[in-house]
Amino acid sequence: MLKVSLRDKAWSPYVAGILIGLLQIPAFLIIETALGASSSYVTVGGLITSWVDPSILRIDYVAKHVAATVKNWWQVALVVGIAIGAFLSAKLSGAVRKPISPIWSRALGSASPNRRYFVAFAAGFLMLFGARIADGCTSGHGLSGMAQLAVGSTVAVAAMFTGGIVAALLMLRRI
Amino acid sequence: MSLFIAIAVGLLMGIVFGFALEKSRVFEPGIIVGQMQLRNFIMLKVFLTAVATGAIVLAVLNGFGLVKLQPKAALYAADMVGGLILGVGITLAGACPGTTLAQIGVGYRDALFTLIGGLAGAAAFSYAQPWLNKTLLASGDGKIIFTDLIGIPYWLGALGFAAVIVFILVQLERWRSWHNEMGRDVDGNFSTSPRTPVRSRRAGKAAIRT
Repeated sequence: MLKVSLRDKAWSPYVAGILIGLLQIPAFLIIETALGASSSYVTVGGLITSWVDPSILRIDYVAKHVAATVKNWWQVALVVGIAIGAFLSAKLSGAVRKPISPIWSRALGSASPNRRYFVAFAAGFLMLFGARIADGCTSGHGLSGMAQLAVGSTVAVAAMFTGGIVAALLMLRRI
Repeated sequence: MSLFIAIAVGLLMGIVFGFALEKSRVFEPGIIVGQMQLRNFIMLKVFLTAVATGAIVLAVLNGFGLVKLQPKAALYAADMVGGLILGVGITLAGACPGTTLAQIGVGYRDALFTLIGGLAGAAAFSYAQPWLNKTLLASGDGKIIFTDLIGIPYWLGALGFAAVIVFILVQLERWRSWHNEMGRDVDGNFSTSPRTPVRSRRAGKAAIRT
């Protein structure tokens, strides 16, 4: 019998994957949308930018994302919840993480935290710039788009893995 | 629905999502970079399992007419260009937009920089969007799904797709058991040396010189 405890350090990827897939039920039934994560960056990023440059709110795209709608703020709450859930899970299993994963000193060929912070910032920028061009990320196009057999999402996921694999082979050292 | 309920539902769902991401270890930079270097397949296993589960769930919900599908429009140029840039970002971040938050939750400090970079990237895109909308994002095929193209009901295609994924996962697991892909500290790190190869080489040279 498969034993799964909240205190485990790791679950089978299949147990965790099923749990994530089941989240489509409340998403579709209660919120009438599919799981996604990257739109929330426009909501929060647009709001923060508007403190410095209020004119950003005149861009329709931003206005649509910061509006007080169920879907916009459900997704912001979802990604905040992800941080809380991961925190709780790590606390329950007693996992302790270093401030930077040990793989980065090898992957980047340098143990300098500043170098890692710079790469992380640039990576985050690329990630969201790309996700917004494609209109979705690993969740929206990946989990939800593929499950719905969406043609565009399948193209986006193929491109995602292509870009990811090429970058991992050309820009990072073997971990 | 009130905004308050939507936020409460989002938080609850997010907590379950974050819990599953942490337990599966797929949020670890070592697991993501390992997947992209084709030496660790935990990410693909979690991802495909979640896709298959979602397909089965939606086959039932949509098949019985309980929910409408919400596919995104197929914008091939944007999907390809955006997907490629996103993929490069995922590898260099060792995270996706969603798992960045899980990394912050467990205390990875560099993930805060990924988050700030992500917010900046989303803002930069927003400024470019009115122009991109007329160019890269302009042409596409609408919200098409594969089962419409071949003329079968969605539920049938979704169940078939899930079956294919299950078959692939069984083969994948036979080839590489997930138990062997975690690493000692369940972070996808398999190196025993705390030093980088570059550093130790330099240190070696320095030792010879002195």
